[in-house]
Amino acid sequence: MLNIKLNPETNIYEPETKTRHRVATALLIVVFFILPFVLAHLGRTGVYWIWVTTEIIIMSLFAMSLNLILGFGGMVSFGHAAFFGVGAYTVALLMKKAAAPLLLALAAAPLMAAVAAVIIGWFCVRLTGLYFSILTLAFSQLLYMVAFQWYTFTGGDDGLHGVPRPDFLSPTNFYLFCLVIFLICVWLMRMLVNSSFGLTIRTIRENMDRAKFIGVNVRFYQWLNFIIAGAFAGLAGGLFAQLNRFAQTEFLHWSRSAEPILASLVGGMYSLMGPTVGSAFLMCLRIVLQQAHKGLVEYWAIILGLILLVMVLFAPGGLIGLVQKIIKKKNG
Amino acid sequence: MAADILRVEKLSKSFSGRLVIDNLSFRVAEGELSAIIGPNGAGKTTLFNLITGYHVPDSGKIIFNGQNIAGLQPFKTVRLGLARAFQRTNIFPKMTVLENVVSACITRQERNLNFRTPYKKLTQIHQRAYEILDSVGLTAMAQRLSGTLAHGNQKLLDIAVALALEPRLLLLDEPTAGMSPDERWQTVALVKDLWERLKVTMVFIEHDMDIVFGISQKIRVLCYGNLLAEGTPKEISNNLKVIEVYLGEKPMMDEAC
Ligand SMILES: Nc1ncnc2c1ncn2[C@@H]1O[C@H](COP(=O)(O)OP(=O)(O)O)[C@@H](O)[C@H]1O
Ligand SMILES: [Mg+2]
Repeated sequence: MLNIKLNPETNIYEPETKTRHRVATALLIVVFFILPFVLAHLGRTGVYWIWVTTEIIIMSLFAMSLNLILGFGGMVSFGHAAFFGVGAYTVALLMKKAAAPLLLALAAAPLMAAVAAVIIGWFCVRLTGLYFSILTLAFSQLLYMVAFQWYTFTGGDDGLHGVPRPDFLSPTNFYLFCLVIFLICVWLMRMLVNSSFGLTIRTIRENMDRAKFIGVNVRFYQWLNFIIAGAFAGLAGGLFAQLNRFAQTEFLHWSRSAEPILASLVGGMYSLMGPTVGSAFLMCLRIVLQQAHKGLVEYWAIILGLILLVMVLFAPGGLIGLVQKIIKKKNG
Repeated sequence: MAADILRVEKLSKSFSGRLVIDNLSFRVAEGELSAIIGPNGAGKTTLFNLITGYHVPDSGKIIFNGQNIAGLQPFKTVRLGLARAFQRTNIFPKMTVLENVVSACITRQERNLNFRTPYKKLTQIHQRAYEILDSVGLTAMAQRLSGTLAHGNQKLLDIAVALALEPRLLLLDEPTAGMSPDERWQTVALVKDLWERLKVTMVFIEHDMDIVFGISQKIRVLCYGNLLAEGTPKEISNNLKVIEVYLGEKPMMDEAC
């Protein structure tokens, strides 16, 4: 066949924007590492804000994990909380009942969540569209009911309280611990999304039938992606159990599954960091409203609905997509 | 005589009780360039759907390269060396033209389970993808979103994606559908050229009789899921039945079919 040299222009990244991007990212990371030390100076409110930012980090990880299947895979799961909950219960049970060390418990969380995803995913990827969504919802509600009923093991609707926390994990240290794990996960997910595997997942999202006709075993790759997403969610759940020092049935509830969907929609499903931006935005907004006026939180559902409406109508790419559009316009 | 690469034996398929492929049998010799013609609704696309595993036949065998592939899932038939381009363009519209072909190359080389290397850094695969784009004349559009291409170019990309799979048997479902007359002949010349250079067996569905008779070695006429006639262009044009059914006036075709 014909011989053609690889055209250098076609290498997608332009070096200049790449460097700028890297510098900005590095700066942002530094800011997040310094943040708790600044907050610690604020006394009690400072500790509260450290707690809040830690929660944002964890929920961002949860949202990003969902987006591996939602944004990149085109699979709308209504039951992602199942894996978050399994991770949370794994940490709570191992640390409280088996006195396992934190690192071991946190390693077990994604593992157990992955095992759950292997089983649940095996059934779910056999369906597509709304049927897939409904089945994920059914499985997560099933786990919710199990946690609710199995009093001796899970503590039923009381949950498992008093998960031990190692002494060295002050709020600041725990924040830093979560931040490091979060960054490692982002790095891993970025690798995943940009890899051949990531491209294969995108072909399935774009045109499932055609993906089959280029030789992709669609179900297998959806299953694999589902398991990976479940594992990351399990890790987030494990961290969340450690943050709150309890695990409860609410972690498995369908309303938990809605949070990462909303975060991805608001932040932007088609970019890696979109769900993080969405999570941070929604959680901060809620707190700001709460601080401004206690009564405002009662209208949270309406406010959320309005935000979603605006997003879906005017910024389908989410906040990140909006920013990208503005930058593009500025540059001509 | 070359060996048969494809043998269709007593193949039948019905949709909700309506027989669309009716006890159909034929053979395709290795290296052949052949056409399937027939009126709309004759079951031509359905035949391709059966061969590539998109539909499961009700009965019959599809022997590809010595193996019965009837009912095998599409991704498995692709791995055995079957590829197709579609009547209605079927590409990945929100990916670049290059990414469309790269995806197919990655699957062909079974690199899908590479979780680490960015696909943009797979130089050898990109080189291969550019070769393929060049062979259909789409190199200049490599970085465009494929959904923004003109219809004719999308059809070509569809073929390029199929070529990237390095098939032994390539099925082209109306490759020139919706093209202007000029584009048609260019595409036909391209198809013939690819066939000669790649030595791949090709079966194409086409409505334009000048094209069909111009380039095919063998023509099969399909009507209501039956093989009405089969032969060289010369034999077919001498075949009265076909002249009546297909080459004649449209009303006649409807009566006969
Ligand atoms: N998936 C399907 N379900 C039901 N009917 C179908 C399906 N695919 C094709 N048909 C019917 O089979 C007949 C043959 O269709 P097709 O193979 O597309 O014809 P052709 O490609 O020769 O124009 C048509 O009547 C069509 O309506
Ligand atoms: Mg057709």
